[in-house]
Amino acid sequence: MTGPLTLTPGHAPAGATRLTVAGEIDMSDIGTLAPAIETTQGPLIVDLTAVDHLDSAGLSVLFRHADRVEIVATPLLAPVLTISGLTRLTTVHGLEET
Amino acid sequence: MTRPREARREPAGAVTGVFAAEAEAGGDLAAVDWASTPLGPPGQWPQSLRTAVSILQARWHTALVDSLQEAFFVCDEDGAVVEINTAFTDILGYGPEELPYRPVHPWWPDAVKDPEAHRRIAAAFAQLMEDPKGSYTVPVSHRDGHRLWVSASFNHAHDPGTGRQVTVGTFRDVTAEHYAVWRKSAQAALGLRLTQATSLPEALSGALAELRSVWRAETVLAALSDGAGRPSVTTTEPGLGWTDLPAGLRDRLTDAFGRPLLTPVDHATGAAVTISHPEGTMVVWLDLGDHRPFTGEDHLLLSLPAGQLAQGLARAHQIDQLRETALALQRAILGPSSLPDGFAVRYEPATRPLEVGGDWYDTVALPDGRTGIVVGDCVGRGLKAATVMGQLRSACRALLLQDVGPAQTLMALDHFAAGIPGALCTTVFCGVLDPRTGRLTYSSAGHPPGILTHRDGTTVLLDEGRSVPLAVRPGRTRPEGTCTVPARATLLLCTDGLVERRRRPLTAGIDQAGAAVHDGRGLAVDELASRIMTRLAPAGGYDDDVALLLYRHPAPLDMEFPAESAQLAPVRTALRSWLARCEMPPHTVQNILVAVGEACANAIEHGHRDIPGPVRLRAEARVDDVRLTVTDTGRWKTPRPDRSPHRGRGMALMRALMQDVTIVPGTAGTTVDMYTRIAR
Repeated sequence: MTGPLTLTPGHAPAGATRLTVAGEIDMSDIGTLAPAIETTQGPLIVDLTAVDHLDSAGLSVLFRHADRVEIVATPLLAPVLTISGLTRLTTVHGLEET
Repeated sequence: MTRPREARREPAGAVTGVFAAEAEAGGDLAAVDWASTPLGPPGQWPQSLRTAVSILQARWHTALVDSLQEAFFVCDEDGAVVEINTAFTDILGYGPEELPYRPVHPWWPDAVKDPEAHRRIAAAFAQLMEDPKGSYTVPVSHRDGHRLWVSASFNHAHDPGTGRQVTVGTFRDVTAEHYAVWRKSAQAALGLRLTQATSLPEALSGALAELRSVWRAETVLAALSDGAGRPSVTTTEPGLGWTDLPAGLRDRLTDAFGRPLLTPVDHATGAAVTISHPEGTMVVWLDLGDHRPFTGEDHLLLSLPAGQLAQGLARAHQIDQLRETALALQRAILGPSSLPDGFAVRYEPATRPLEVGGDWYDTVALPDGRTGIVVGDCVGRGLKAATVMGQLRSACRALLLQDVGPAQTLMALDHFAAGIPGALCTTVFCGVLDPRTGRLTYSSAGHPPGILTHRDGTTVLLDEGRSVPLAVRPGRTRPEGTCTVPARATLLLCTDGLVERRRRPLTAGIDQAGAAVHDGRGLAVDELASRIMTRLAPAGGYDDDVALLLYRHPAPLDMEFPAESAQLAPVRTALRSWLARCEMPPHTVQNILVAVGEACANAIEHGHRDIPGPVRLRAEARVDDVRLTVTDTGRWKTPRPDRSPHRGRGMALMRALMQDVTIVPGTAGTTVDMYTRIAR
């Protein structure tokens, strides 16, 4: 069983900010996820490598910041990120099966 | 008694006339050769002699006519009655004083009050006027008003006195015979209806229809008192309730509840009779309309069938009770009416109309969440086998609840069966299934093996743990077998009636059953049970008892949760663990989790915006696909992408990830039905 959502801020190369997310994201987590992204400024790398569930409510938060966000994910989230069209608006890494 | 005066004909001047009239009355005067007598030829008779002969002749005629037992009448060419006898007056009350009686005769039933009777006599009168001879039976009214039935015969004759055509008729009073015949046929018809009825309501409605027909009533209704002013009503006019009846009629019926039994009471438009009904007092009301008088005779005619009806209803009631008792007992010995999810059963007793036979199935919920499964087959069939079956089923159930395992259960059942006549050689399959893991422990007392059909269609027979039928070797240790029902495999247990046929090896039946299970892999387990029963049935239907029990692993997931977003995570956890039991590929699991998550989020966000209520999720795996249903108790809101863009995305995700999505909005709630194939 996956525990509650955890958000870990950090720094990325070239002055970007990094937000590492772990757990499952559904509409009950938006209140945590949205402020965590909104409080950052400039380029943001959202690391969803440890996220194993992402629903449309979570996608909406990412869509709102698509112009400054880059996403790192796993093949598990590929259908959701692709079908929603987010992959067309922003750079998403890690969707290919290795 | 006064002699009625006959319509006297003037003696004819001509002797031939005199003689002819005499001959008509049966005399033989004309045949006498008067010329050879001292009187000489009649033409030379003096006037005095002629008069004397005429008077004698007329008296003879009168005496003759009056001596008739039957009523006698003569009609002229216009239909007017010109002559009658004493019996006529005795029967109808109309005397010779008022002759002639011109049509319409005063004894005709009233055209307005009793049109049917009037029509009949008018038709008979027409017949009398036209036909040279004939007979008829008609209703007539006595001078004092009471109804009579008369049977008449008539002949046209020539009146030699006047040269005119007359009609001579006789009739007799057949009122008693008429009503006796009518009563007999009415009672026979009513009796037939009552004996043919297979239930109390059927007996009552059939009897009312019959009464309506024999009485030519407009409506017949029966009101059964409930003691609380709301009697229940049965009527020949369907759909009529107590409150639909006119207030006047309701009062009349209510009044009749307190009346003596079987004593008709007549009113302007009908008659009521009170009878005793097995469930209280009943009043039968015949609505005869405005034009049908209820006569004194009718009182008797209604009280007799009313008594018959009461007896018939009492008998139907007894039959009802016996049948209900028999059905309740049969259903009680047959087994559980509700089954654990994932199971389906079918039961077909060979001996109709019995609903049970010697076969049985049972499922027992054990305290630790496991399920006891039993399918058994007593020797023989019919009632005797069913009584043995009922005892063994109960005992086996109790023993399973002791949680000693299938082999121990059957060993204890051996001892129990040894003490029951007719239980020897009963075959039983007894198993304990863990629905979480599919682990099945079982033991078989001479029973056909269970058939496990894997999701690829291969079949495995559960042929371990086998030993002799019940009570053959009490005390002997019984073996146990184990197996695991894999994901999306189907377990079939049955009695030999399903698979065994004469002149065919049992293996052929087992193969056929396995093939039927595999072919039905796209069906829910209950539909599959029906399909198997149909497909394996012999051409003329099953000639032996058949019990069939199916289990497909894992059982469907069925959960209800409050419409709160905090529930999404635990629902996902439960669904994920169920999907794991279904052994689905990871990306199918992920697709289902997302699609169901979106449907649940929708139900929480939209379905329950106004009144929060529970959301229900049901997931059912078939062999190659999964059906997912999310039901809420709210009203579905069409997604408005401008207001909540993520809802529109949610819908798009559901549709993209599932093979089929159907949203059915309803007044009680919205159902989202999703279906997806399981990738191999």
